[in-house]
Amino acid sequence: MLLEITPRASQPISLTPLIDVVFILLLFFMLSSTFSKTRQLELEAAASGKQSMASEVYRLLLLTENKVDLNGTVYPTDTERFAQRIRTIAEAHGSVTLAARSAVKVQQTIHLIDNLRAAGISQLNLSPSVAE
Amino acid sequence: MNHRPSQRNNLDNSMIPAINIVFLLLIFFMLAGHIEARDEQLRIPASSSDRELKTAELEIKISAAGSYTVNGQRIDQDLQPYMTGLGVSPETVVICHIHRDLPSSALDPVLLAAQQLGIKALHIATEHTS
Repeated sequence: MLLEITPRASQPISLTPLIDVVFILLLFFMLSSTFSKTRQLELEAAASGKQSMASEVYRLLLLTENKVDLNGTVYPTDTERFAQRIRTIAEAHGSVTLAARSAVKVQQTIHLIDNLRAAGISQLNLSPSVAE
Repeated sequence: MNHRPSQRNNLDNSMIPAINIVFLLLIFFMLAGHIEARDEQLRIPASSSDRELKTAELEIKISAAGSYTVNGQRIDQDLQPYMTGLGVSPETVVICHIHRDLPSSALDPVLLAAQQLGIKALHIATEHTS
């Protein structure tokens, strides 16, 4: 018996498995990767031995999320009056010693430090928190 | 007449632009992103500081539960004697990773230890916000 063997047509390689793998990889990288990089905020612990060259030292106490006590005067932090006061201190090269009430969240303290640095306060010391 | 192979071929060809885009997205995420372990117990505070995080000789982590870890070692004793035992000098660079929602008092042991040991370089790890 003579068998007729037809030459097998070459099948093109299907792209579907490749796409599946690429999609899985894409999902993995989309879900697991982060774009925010960790940075650092440089602090000076109060009375750490550094000699302050500032003309005057101001005591700033973070009372609540948006209220501070600056040398006995209470200011809301989101007012122009407080911003102006901080700019005046920065222009006079004053040193600020910052403390927070013990219940105030770390994020609020860091936010205030950010604002003080942005206003030009270069000599900023962080003290331990103050009890209520 | 069998049209199946050509139909499949057409389908594969029409998928090529989509595959190109998926490949480009894949390369973007692979190059631009970086993979790091997410720890809901230690979400560091956000800050506008753009200083690159340097390698610290002493790394203190304070989790949401209030537990202290120094260089990967969980500690239950006071921080200052422990740091003294590690041979911390005023020149030691200390980086503190603290959970953002903790009260400020959680940072007190670190600040007091830094004061007592005269540490000059104390940094707080933050997440950059624009």
